[in-house]
Amino acid sequence: MVAQQLLNGLFLGAVYALFAVGYTLVFGVLDILNLAHAAIFTASAFAAFSLAAAGVPLPLAFLGAAAVGGVLGVLLDRAAFAPLRRRNAGTLVPLISSIGVAIIIGAVLRGIYGVDERHFVTGALDTAQAIHLGPVTFTTVELTIFVAAVALMVGLSWVLRATTLGRRIRAVAQDRIAAALLGVDLERTIAATFFIASSLGGAAGVLTGLEYNSVTLDMGSPIELKGLAIIILGGMGSVTGAVIGGFIIGAVETLAIALGLSEWRDAITFGVMFVILVARPSGLFGKRALRQA
Amino acid sequence: MNRTSVPALALLAVVALVAPSGAASKGPAAGKTVHIGVIADVTGGAGVYGTPQKNAYELANEDIKSGKLDAGGASLTFDVQDAASDGAQVVNLMQKFMTDGSTPLVLGPTLSGEAFKAFPIAARANFPVMGTSTTAEGVTAMGPSVYRDSLAESQVIPTTVKRTHDKWHYKSAAVIYGDDNAFTKTDGDIFTRELKAAGVDVVDTETFHIKDTDFQPALTRIESKHPDVIAIGALFPEATKIIQQAGKLGIKAHMIGGNGLNAPDMYSVAGPSAQGTVVGAAWYSGAKYPSNLDFVKSYTAKYGKGPDQFAAQSYAAAQIVAYLVAHGATTKDEMLSGLHNVRVIQTVLGPIGFDPNRDVKSSPVILSIVKDGFTYFH
Amino acid sequence: MNALAEFYARHSQLIDQIGINAILALSLSVSLQAGQLALAQAAFMGIAAYVTAILTLTYHWPIVATILVAVIVATLVGAALAYPVRRLRGVFLAIATIGFGEIVRVIANNLGITGGAEGMSGLPQDANTATIYAALAIVALLLFSLSRTKFALAVALVREDEHAAAGVGVDVGTVRTLSLALGGAIAGLAGALYAHSSAFITPTDFGFERMEQILVWCVIGGVTSPLGAVLGAMFLSVLPELIRFLADYREITNGIILLLVIVFAPGGLASLWRRGPVRVRV
Repeated sequence: MVAQQLLNGLFLGAVYALFAVGYTLVFGVLDILNLAHAAIFTASAFAAFSLAAAGVPLPLAFLGAAAVGGVLGVLLDRAAFAPLRRRNAGTLVPLISSIGVAIIIGAVLRGIYGVDERHFVTGALDTAQAIHLGPVTFTTVELTIFVAAVALMVGLSWVLRATTLGRRIRAVAQDRIAAALLGVDLERTIAATFFIASSLGGAAGVLTGLEYNSVTLDMGSPIELKGLAIIILGGMGSVTGAVIGGFIIGAVETLAIALGLSEWRDAITFGVMFVILVARPSGLFGKRALRQA
Repeated sequence: MNRTSVPALALLAVVALVAPSGAASKGPAAGKTVHIGVIADVTGGAGVYGTPQKNAYELANEDIKSGKLDAGGASLTFDVQDAASDGAQVVNLMQKFMTDGSTPLVLGPTLSGEAFKAFPIAARANFPVMGTSTTAEGVTAMGPSVYRDSLAESQVIPTTVKRTHDKWHYKSAAVIYGDDNAFTKTDGDIFTRELKAAGVDVVDTETFHIKDTDFQPALTRIESKHPDVIAIGALFPEATKIIQQAGKLGIKAHMIGGNGLNAPDMYSVAGPSAQGTVVGAAWYSGAKYPSNLDFVKSYTAKYGKGPDQFAAQSYAAAQIVAYLVAHGATTKDEMLSGLHNVRVIQTVLGPIGFDPNRDVKSSPVILSIVKDGFTYFH
Repeated sequence: MNALAEFYARHSQLIDQIGINAILALSLSVSLQAGQLALAQAAFMGIAAYVTAILTLTYHWPIVATILVAVIVATLVGAALAYPVRRLRGVFLAIATIGFGEIVRVIANNLGITGGAEGMSGLPQDANTATIYAALAIVALLLFSLSRTKFALAVALVREDEHAAAGVGVDVGTVRTLSLALGGAIAGLAGALYAHSSAFITPTDFGFERMEQILVWCVIGGVTSPLGAVLGAMFLSVLPELIRFLADYREITNGIILLLVIVFAPGGLASLWRRGPVRVRV
């Protein structure tokens, strides 16, 4: 049972982490909390459902839906953040405009898909493909999801470290004005950041939809607040922190239940977060870790 | 109160036992306009429950126009207003309907927690309200003008436990329920109580939160205690995932549940692991009552998807109101005396009436998933 | 006069909600004015509402006594919360206080005395519109008189630059503690009134969604302006009912209006007639 619970926590944590890295990337670059991230997570899951239902093979549907998330992210920036950036409106005001966009995305999805739960064609995700390995049981779907999530996070880390775009993103995160003076095209870099961040959030949504074979309008609401907790816990804008934070929260939640404390789960999760923050007021990975990413 | 109408309604209530419903008739309210307020969570967190309710009333509006649902020649309409799963909006809507001067009765809201906020306002004014999905204990106790046509969990779960125990003779059980919702919490409490009363050893109790998607940690823990039966206190979205994930983890225990699991696409969503799940409920989509078969057919044709229990209980409420209007009730006082004097009405839920506590009088059905759909559990 | 009475009879619930929401918005505005993004208002409100409900239903205390005790408890909780979070700023403070709110909600969900998820029903609904608006007036008066004191100056200094404030002798820790305690007191008052005007309370009434709502009111109104906070609460409490005629398009219109207002008036409703920077660094 212990091994199975560890595995449960690991699978849960991987998707949390993937959701959170996108969240924290925007945060690191723009210093704003994007509360529409969960809505894009949901929208991408629906896009993957539509693509799969139209006969697109699942891996392609996954990539397509992640791209849909990326495009939505760019649009989100144009609608909710860019106008405020021009007016130098601070960091709290964009939080509210992103809530406005989240409501709009939710209403549009409800208009298109209605309130009913959608599921991918069974066949493709047969639960019968369970693998029993010693004391643990998991499915090929779960394994694929875990590998995909980890691969995306490794990929992001590589992009940030080794590419021109990554260097630009880090420069803007470090000092927007200096970066602009050095010839970095701010708006294009920010747009690229939103595309990457939102496609990762969208990918997390698709993987969540696949894992439970369920796509619903409110699938983003449980992860929204947890995602926020994870990125703050990890440290402002720190990709490494978000990954580790994701696995910590996944493990704490699973552990709370494994210990027979399921009714206290959320209190324990937020309690752990509270205590870590009190001990480390800038989160686990300091204030500006993206600069060193 | 309109004194003269009371005996007339009482008499007609008895007559209804033999009078077949069907073709539109000319009743005492013929030609009059009756406007019924409906409060439903069409959007927001409870939208998945409020939307089928809205669908059912819109279907009822059509059926009244076409004469399929007999309102005695009156122009009866159900005005569905969205409360957006927001208690403040529920209360505002209740006041709006109560004071607009043209609404003699309100149906809804969707959730028990909302009813606890809005019904006291109606009860103080002796304004008739009927819940169609508010199953928590104490809802009708809020006042003599508060009715409901939904079976409470306390009316459903004891039978479910008894019937399954009689058949399977299980010794141990685990209970899993949502602890942040009045409906699922009540489910969990009643399951625990009834299982213990039946001499079953409750080896584990796990809780979850509404909108959770991952139940594997809780199920892994349950499986480590090897229960014969898992009792699920959940609504449809969580219940399907619990059943699906239990199958994935190779859990072989029997699954039992209440009203929340009664949705036509249970099997298609939860998959093969739903086989054999036993569900105690207020309504069976395959029940052979004439109006039910018709309702399921026309609902499916209109919305491309079969009705669930939320839709059925709302349509039944529409049938009850149509019956009252057909027998002359058009004002709030006439609705009250009509409801008070109802004996038995034929609805999609079967023949139902109200007990002295204004709770619905009908018997639960115990269903089981065999192959890809529900059948009666024997 | 008749028309007015009729208007009241039809909208008294909404009018009462607006009053309570305005008090809640003022409570958060107190924290924001001190530059503290402390988001525990929903928790303070919930704690006070439960204290009120328990004293009313179980111990049958008179309404004024229940409100007083509830406000005192919420004040103490606010002051006590200030200590562990004393080193946290900006979003770190925000998420820690939201976490505190989640812990409070889970506790209310698990305790026997609060009725758990089934909530507490049968509350007397004995706070009328006059009581609620009298309370709002008292809070407004209190904040107005405070705005003329040295305390307000210290608060403004802490908001603009903590180090500079400390440099001129302001005790930053005390200012932060007092602003959290005052925010707790005002949110507690709103919670007590909520328990006396709603027939039923349940833990989800005081969760993250409520906190998000209060924050939106304050920012839409104008972050550091108490008048703006009240306006924002009023505007957004009435909006869903104003656009009810849009039926299926109500939800999306709600989102669009929110987005347009904030994009075109980032300083909030209060900035529409008042010039000058209305910003808070968080």
